[in-house]
Amino acid sequence: MTQRQEATGRPLWLRILGLATLILFGVGAYLALVVSPPDVNQGQLIRMMYAHVSVAWVCFVAVIVMALYGMAFLWRGRPIDDARAVANAEIATFFAALTLVSGMTYSKPTLNTYWTWDAKLTLTALMFALLVGYFVVRGLIDDPMRRGRVSAVIGIIVAVSLPFNYLAAAWFRTLHPTLSVAVTGVTMAPIMLFVLLFNVAVAALVYLTFVSERVRIARLEHARQEARERREGDGAAGEVVRV
Amino acid sequence: MTGVGADVAAVLAIARKDLLQEVRSRAVTVATLFFSAVTLIMMAFALGQDAELLRRSAPGVLWVALAFAGVITAAQSYQSDLEEGAFDQLLLYPVPRASVFLGKLLANWLYLLALGLLMAPVTLMLYGAGTGPDVWLLPVTLTLGTLGFAVVATFYAALTANLQAREALLPVLMFPVVVPVLLGAVRSSESLMSLHNAVLAGGWLQLLGGFDLVYFVTCTAIFHLVVEE
Repeated sequence: MTQRQEATGRPLWLRILGLATLILFGVGAYLALVVSPPDVNQGQLIRMMYAHVSVAWVCFVAVIVMALYGMAFLWRGRPIDDARAVANAEIATFFAALTLVSGMTYSKPTLNTYWTWDAKLTLTALMFALLVGYFVVRGLIDDPMRRGRVSAVIGIIVAVSLPFNYLAAAWFRTLHPTLSVAVTGVTMAPIMLFVLLFNVAVAALVYLTFVSERVRIARLEHARQEARERREGDGAAGEVVRV
Repeated sequence: MTGVGADVAAVLAIARKDLLQEVRSRAVTVATLFFSAVTLIMMAFALGQDAELLRRSAPGVLWVALAFAGVITAAQSYQSDLEEGAFDQLLLYPVPRASVFLGKLLANWLYLLALGLLMAPVTLMLYGAGTGPDVWLLPVTLTLGTLGFAVVATFYAALTANLQAREALLPVLMFPVVVPVLLGAVRSSESLMSLHNAVLAGGWLQLLGGFDLVYFVTCTAIFHLVVEE
């Protein structure tokens, strides 16, 4: 019984990481909502930027890591690399959705429109569509090795598409200049930059915690699957003997 | 025959097989040609009577029609093989898997390019769009644009060929990837048709060329991973 708990329980480092993430998330929210001064141009709305930029940055990191683990799976063929790629893809999809929602919420009061065809936002939308396709294809393939291989291939295509989609989205906008406030290029007050970087670090910790937890669960699922196959194999063999 | 020569021969043989099959059955031709024509007419109705709006929409409508045609072409090129179990035999031939991809890509691209060369003047006429002095760049745009569509479509069609709901899945997977091609081809065509700006078109053609090169190499290199053993 104790052995079973050891095998399935959450390891101590992951508990500590989760707890630290939770506390720092609270600190980050306090910094963004209370400590940070209101912006000269955007006023209180700047507080939304801390959340929006943090999830956006981490989202792109997760996509790159997903593609790298996909390549590792193709190279070594270990199921754990596929599980790691999926964990990254899941959090990338969720963070991409958060980026889109927060970006739209943020641009309505500041730019007076929900969708600005901004290069980065358009890139995120295309990436979100690609990630959804990744999961749709995964759901349709039963063989784990083939599923891992095809997922890795789609992951590589997603990573390759990023620079092209960014260029396309950026050039698309230059030919259609919009009357939007240029947020980039504005130098940020040191305190606001600190709050932003703190929140990016918190988002990265949230990412690390959830990916670690997801990989842990994937390991357990894999072990259960193997145990079941072994049991069914034994059962089948027993029947043959009886006949 | 030496290694490279044999591979090239295999690519040409597969492309010839696909094109010959198409010439004899005309299954894709009927589907894509009339589909594209209907798309042009539907879009003209949807856009309304405004002649200026129609003229300016011509490049966009042309390339959207070609993008849909590219999906149908690529999906069909695997479907007809899979139906009779011919695809498994194709994979049994002692040639690299990349040859199969390149052969199918060549056939799909030539087909799509021919369709584009046919559709472009029709679109110009129906939508009342003119051309400038640099109209010779339009076939270049068509060549590079249809190659970009064909590479991604041929690759993803192999990936989805054995899956359920492949008809719906292929465009979902393919379109977010080919956004740069669509944008580059439409803007390049627009620069030639209404803006008469060859320099602007050249910039977009560079984007198309870069896209084609990177995806051509990437997809050829990893194609063997997506076909069923």
